[in-house]
Amino acid sequence: MFEPMTDIVPSFFAWLNQGPLTLTIFLHTVIILPMFWIYKQEKNRLENEK
Amino acid sequence: MANKSVWSDNRFWQRTAAWVTGFAAVLLIWLTFDTSAQISMGTDADLKDGVTKRVPGPTVINYKITYEMSTKRGHEVPVIGEKEKFFGRDDWSEEEAAELLHLGKLGSQAKNCMDCHTLLGNGAYYAPDLTKAWLDPAWGPEGSLQAMTGKNTKEEAMAEFLQHPSQYPTHERMMPNLGITEKEAIGLVAFLKHMSSIDTNGFPRNFGKMQGAVHGK
Repeated sequence: MFEPMTDIVPSFFAWLNQGPLTLTIFLHTVIILPMFWIYKQEKNRLENEK
Repeated sequence: MANKSVWSDNRFWQRTAAWVTGFAAVLLIWLTFDTSAQISMGTDADLKDGVTKRVPGPTVINYKITYEMSTKRGHEVPVIGEKEKFFGRDDWSEEEAAELLHLGKLGSQAKNCMDCHTLLGNGAYYAPDLTKAWLDPAWGPEGSLQAMTGKNTKEEAMAEFLQHPSQYPTHERMMPNLGITEKEAIGLVAFLKHMSSIDTNGFPRNFGKMQGAVHGK
């Protein structure tokens, strides 16, 4: 599932480029998870406005 | 106002877009610096100390370059070996080698090699990919191209061919005579030798499948 680091120099981008799963997990972590957080904040804000 | 949905709320989408755009910007700027560090050219000292660089210094022309399968990385990588004579010398200084590569690079641009060939992924596929041309066994000691020119070394054979390409039957699509001088030809061969030593993550993919291109196969 997780491929070993095979790039010439170990770097963050080499890790990101190992396969589709690393990229998917990374993008979900940095885009989808913060969206949940933003969603909750905005929901609270809208409820308090009422 | 009754039960306004977050999904139809402008602020939610604004904040999401700001986050994604901002994060992507930071990531791309980081990637730019990461890449420039990785593609910066090595030095003569790096070669002597055995420091692996994606793009070795110009004096790599003093060394033998082979193409070896790396099982760890899953593709072939150029390996810089022992000293090897290049046009009769294996002591090209850093300045001389850099000058030669510069001449070859300018020559490749002036003669528009990329009109037909591909160099490091740029160019056309009308003529053979030149990224790893130096490692092509056809130019080697038992290769048909070297035999065709009647020369005894790879570099002399390539230089001879570059000066009189239309004299040699190579391919249905024969290379035209571009008026390349002897000095330019030496520069171009140095340029090609250096290019073959660049770690391109196995590009071009099909090169390693050529008979004899990879050491020991």
